Amino acid sequence: MNELERLNDNSGHPSVAKQTGPMTSLEVYDKYGAMAYGIILQIIPQPNLAQEVLVNVFSSPLLQSCNSYPFTFAACVIKLARSKAVEAKRKLMTIGSFSADGVHKEQETTPELIFDLAFRQGFSPEEVAEKLNISKSDVLKAFHEFFKSFPHA
Amino acid sequence: MNTQDFIESGVLESYLLGFATEEEQHEINQQILTSSEFSEYVVEFERNAQRYFLQNAVPPPPATREIIQLRASKTDIEKAGKHTYYDIPRTEQKKEEYLNVEVNDTYIKVHKWWRPAFIAVFVLSKVFLIAGLYYYFKSASQEKEIEKLRTEISLPRR
Repeated sequence: MNELERLNDNSGHPSVAKQTGPMTSLEVYDKYGAMAYGIILQIIPQPNLAQEVLVNVFSSPLLQSCNSYPFTFAACVIKLARSKAVEAKRKLMTIGSFSADGVHKEQETTPELIFDLAFRQGFSPEEVAEKLNISKSDVLKAFHEFFKSFPHA
Repeated sequence: MNTQDFIESGVLESYLLGFATEEEQHEINQQILTSSEFSEYVVEFERNAQRYFLQNAVPPPPATREIIQLRASKTDIEKAGKHTYYDIPRTEQKKEEYLNVEVNDTYIKVHKWWRPAFIAVFVLSKVFLIAGLYYYFKSASQEKEIEKLRTEISLPRR
């Protein structure tokens, strides 16, 4: 079995076999729905809109491609939920009913700030680098630092 | 670039967030195949990332699940619609005997025997019409004749 075919179920075991059969959208929703909704709410803090995005995530044909995703289903859902939420946020920003947070020029460029700009506010690494006057590789390193600094259970 | 440098470059984290380019994705796949250290890091990273996002998990309202269920069943019906009827096993054909379909044309299809039957009815109706008119006028003229003869018989008696 490939190392990557390990599925984390929070049981604490180092390796858990990936499910043999493909998961249906409802099964994925039951398992990762709350996590996806939390991610979407971090990006779009409006419950009604966030629920709409959540439905889009779990009705998306892209969700079925997670069955052949090289990483765990959770990683695939995180990626998909974020991309759908950012897409919805961008649409709102073009309509003008939603304003992006101000540029954090005065703030210190911490990994938390960089992660916030990229993950929650939907900026690409290049845009974050430009805003903070740092290189793209520094932005990517900050992502690594952010997850590294996250306290392990 | 050695494995440790690659890990610290943050490319994997960037991939999870959906920022990685095709080249970077290819590089990640290569590292997974060649380096067991990197593979172990991937497993550990995925676990940490999931734990981080689960901390901020919010249970969605129950209605959301129903909407997703409805959309999933709708998609299944649409997928089934792509197959021809004869592709479906006979047991399933029986279940699908009655379908709600919206017909949008004004034509109907009938059996081929309806054509001669219709022609026969048309011809017979014409024959009966002509016969009816013929006997009507004939009886009318006969009545006139009888009336005439009656008047002829009654006149000499006066």
